[in-house]
Amino acid sequence: MVAPVEPKPGGTLRNAFGGVLGFFILLLIGVLAFSIRLFSVIKYESVIHEFDPYFNYRVTQFLTKNGIYEFWNWFDDRTWYPLGRVIGGTVYPGLTLTAGTMWWILNSLNIPLSVETVCVFTAPVFSAFAAWATYFLTKEVKGIGSGLTAATLLALVPSYISRSVAGSYDNEAVAIFALIFTFFLYIKTLNTGSLFYATLNALSYFYMVCSWGGYTFIINLIPMHALLCIVTGRYSSRLYIAYAPLVVLGTLLAALVPVVGFNAVMTSEHFASFLVFIIIHVVAFVYFIKGILSPKMFKVAITLVLTVGIAVCIAVIAILVALVASSPTKGWSGRSLSLLDPTYASKYIPIIASVSEHQPPTWPSYFMDINILAFLVPAGIIACFLPLSDASSFVVLYLVTSVYFSGVMVRLMLVLAPAACILSGIALSEAFDVLTRSVKLQLVKLLEGPLSNAGDTKDENSTAQNDVLKADKQVATNNKTEDVKERPSKKNRKKDKENTEKAPVKSHNEKRLLALPLEASAIAIILLVVLGSLYVIHCVWAAAEAYSAPSIVLTSRSHDGLHVFDDFREAYAWLRHNTEADDKVASWWDYGYQTTAMANRTVIVDNNTWNNTHIATVGTAMSSPEKPAWEIFNSLDVKYVLVVFGGLVGYPSDDINKFLWMVRIGGGVFPHIKEPDYLRDGQYRIDAQATPTMLNCLMYKLSYYRFVETDGKGFDRVRRTEIGKKHFKLSHFEEVFTTHHWMVRIYKLKPPKNRMKGKTKKPKPV
Amino acid sequence: MAPRSAVFCLSLYLLVIVFSVSGTVGVSASSDDDLVDELESLQSKSPSGVIHLDDRLISRFLTSVKIPRPYHLIIFFDASSLRSKSELHLPQLRSEFAIVSESFAAHHRGLPSASKLFFCDIEFGESQSSFSKFGVNSLPHVRLVSPTTRSLSDSDSMDASAFSRLADAMAEFVESKTKISVGPILHPPPVSPRQQAVLLLALLIAAPFIIKKVLAGETLLHDSRVWMAGAVFVYFFSVSGSMHNIIRNMPMMMTDRDGRPVFFYQGSGMQLGAEGFIVGFLYTLVGLVLAIVTHGLVRLKSVTVQRGMMLAAMVVVYWAVGKVISLDNWKTGYSVHAYWPSSWK
Repeated sequence: MVAPVEPKPGGTLRNAFGGVLGFFILLLIGVLAFSIRLFSVIKYESVIHEFDPYFNYRVTQFLTKNGIYEFWNWFDDRTWYPLGRVIGGTVYPGLTLTAGTMWWILNSLNIPLSVETVCVFTAPVFSAFAAWATYFLTKEVKGIGSGLTAATLLALVPSYISRSVAGSYDNEAVAIFALIFTFFLYIKTLNTGSLFYATLNALSYFYMVCSWGGYTFIINLIPMHALLCIVTGRYSSRLYIAYAPLVVLGTLLAALVPVVGFNAVMTSEHFASFLVFIIIHVVAFVYFIKGILSPKMFKVAITLVLTVGIAVCIAVIAILVALVASSPTKGWSGRSLSLLDPTYASKYIPIIASVSEHQPPTWPSYFMDINILAFLVPAGIIACFLPLSDASSFVVLYLVTSVYFSGVMVRLMLVLAPAACILSGIALSEAFDVLTRSVKLQLVKLLEGPLSNAGDTKDENSTAQNDVLKADKQVATNNKTEDVKERPSKKNRKKDKENTEKAPVKSHNEKRLLALPLEASAIAIILLVVLGSLYVIHCVWAAAEAYSAPSIVLTSRSHDGLHVFDDFREAYAWLRHNTEADDKVASWWDYGYQTTAMANRTVIVDNNTWNNTHIATVGTAMSSPEKPAWEIFNSLDVKYVLVVFGGLVGYPSDDINKFLWMVRIGGGVFPHIKEPDYLRDGQYRIDAQATPTMLNCLMYKLSYYRFVETDGKGFDRVRRTEIGKKHFKLSHFEEVFTTHHWMVRIYKLKPPKNRMKGKTKKPKPV
Repeated sequence: MAPRSAVFCLSLYLLVIVFSVSGTVGVSASSDDDLVDELESLQSKSPSGVIHLDDRLISRFLTSVKIPRPYHLIIFFDASSLRSKSELHLPQLRSEFAIVSESFAAHHRGLPSASKLFFCDIEFGESQSSFSKFGVNSLPHVRLVSPTTRSLSDSDSMDASAFSRLADAMAEFVESKTKISVGPILHPPPVSPRQQAVLLLALLIAAPFIIKKVLAGETLLHDSRVWMAGAVFVYFFSVSGSMHNIIRNMPMMMTDRDGRPVFFYQGSGMQLGAEGFIVGFLYTLVGLVLAIVTHGLVRLKSVTVQRGMMLAAMVVVYWAVGKVISLDNWKTGYSVHAYWPSSWK
């Protein structure tokens, strides 16, 4: 904390007190962010969640065991058999390296935590960091009070919790921190014009590139903001310092990450930054010329510069357009294209459209994921425009782009969440600021009577004196963030801002205080606090009930108590202990990562869906009758086939429910698989009305083999119907293991029959 | 690709040979040719090449012709009384059908295959008996009558689920049933060449003025209120789930069995257009009211006005938040409960 420029008596002490208080509030926010994400560990156990985290966990294990160079060169032969996968060059290494480093530091301090424990808790730790980064970012935009409010909101926001509970060891866990921190450093550079922060900004961007494919959002958003500043006439040398080093250093650093490599200069996602880079140089040059020439000379010069500049720009744009147009997808990756043209994915790329997190959200999703922030954001937008600064315009731009993207893909709600928190924090903080100030000033009026309108300077002093009173009130209303808000107004910069804001009003209305009626303000404060408590209750509920299920262990509550379904780990353990080390296991791609990580067996396809044809092959096998399926699997050296079946316990996301996607993806590559063959009158059904193709396909048979023996009727609890074909035998597969609740069923391919001459004739005794 | 198209050509040639042979041998050859000529002349009268059929033409070209007929007919079933029903998308599908027809004509111009397939449409109001002959009782409906189809009700119908993919699906359907490839679909450009030229000209004329304004810093873009309104609008647009409505082609509202309008759909996976806009409006309203209180109301002089407006604002906000919570509860079954220490219960 910098000492105030005009130290008043007691001012330094108050500042120091405020600084310490602010620090402790931040610390508590960190603890809050960390601890609200521990429900999953308390309710279940310290276990890695879902699908992708298992892959990251496996990579981290490899890293800690073999070191960074081995990791960099790692060719994984346990997946995508027989192709294999180059892991070092195709993963975003940020998360793995972070967790690996944390593990290494802890171990060198003689704290023997297992790799799994470190991985489980990486996400909560980085959530705390993200909350702090939010504080710094918002502080740069609207001061400390807004910063603390925004950080509190971010620590709790359900959308972010859903991706960062303990055990959810995924890229987003660290990437959101990196995203916010990069934005903070950009704003910081923009406000200070310091090259030091510009360099840090490039490094932070590098960390973001290491962590998540979402870095393209940064490298498009920041150029957009720079361009916006130029177009609206806000160009300054600070903008140049914030932008130009980031593009040069950032692009060079990004190219160092193997998975990005030359994409950093070759793909359309990055072209916007280069274009703006050129424009900002042209503009900077114009400003430079303007500075050294007389106005008359400048007029002459500007025509010259304009013609040359425009010619160069047009030439470069033409080259870029030609480059882009020469590539089939216009240089954009499928996922980015589906953001720009929202109907793109659903038409052309079933594998992107098939993932539930790529669906467009409806309005309840917003209420679920950002809750009351959805109400507060518009107020935050307006607050950012009064007055508009470089920093606040950036925040608004961030919100507008992310809210549009979140409308296209529900998954990008995660990117919206920090923006919503920042703007809601600003809105909430300003509202509390106005309301508590009104209460305080009206109280002063009531107590002191006519003395209070003595003039501007007196006003300031009385504000200072009464701050203690105000602080008490704040603690009582449980919103500690507010008292800190007032203090930076003593600081020079902030004071300037406020003066510029207040000056015109004061000149018009003399010494009138900006205040609202006392009792209305008091009620409004209570209402806002109620609104805030709704948010807290919702977030705790979401963290505890909605987002903490590891989905590898399932529970269900019924009238006779809690049931735990640990079938997945049971099945993977069986595979690990009962099959040969180099046996191949085929399953739908969802279970690929888990099989390699937990069963340590080779899989055909996994959640890294890089090869559509390979996935389509497995989809085709699952949709074919037994014999062709056996042939396909046999050609891939598959020994075991694993299917997930929820019909007995009512687990809805099983393979039968995903089956239509297998058909679609399979049919996309192998046209003899046709979706209508599996549908009766456009309806997907597995009961007696089902089509013969459906009843004879491998997925049906493997799921429902011997199912009728469980209850005598074959009643499927997910589809709520009796199955169509109950008694059948398998000729090319044999059941080797079915878990306790029948959720995972493992089949072995029968060996090919010995060839006998003369077909069915009895072999002659020799 | 190449071998496949070679096979196509081969089969086409075979067809042509077979037909020419039958033409020289068969007695009905001349009448077949007459029919094809007649169809072609009808086709040339329509701008998109879609022949409009009625009961008389149906019997002329389909029911009273000796089998095998020398052509395939693909028929789009239309009903002008149902065109206003937005959920059927009849006008859109009809124009897509015309696009397929035009693409086919463009790729097969001058080839013998051009007279093997004709695109037709038929309207319910003027040819009801044909509808019953085909056994069509629901729209949208597309039928392909192949040369060997005897009874019209046995003709191949296009799968209803495929209509969502529009022209591509129709082309695929034709291809899978007739083995005649339509070729790439020629979508008309969103802006016609003439419009493009006009736009370009207008832009060229306006350019100096725009550049001058930009340099002087007096465009709309320099007015921060425009940006503010834009930002709030994009926010409103997104949180109301409009992208969902666009991607999924959701209607603004539905009607239930009694014909009453339904604005809200129960179930979280889907929403109707009006529903989204209503809730999006409520989301935005609360924020705007808060902003007005925080930034506008404080500047007012009159305390009574301030008091009255604040009370009104609080009532509005309370109502809007309560409404969204209750709607959400109704739609998704969501309800939260707080966590109290177990000893308190």
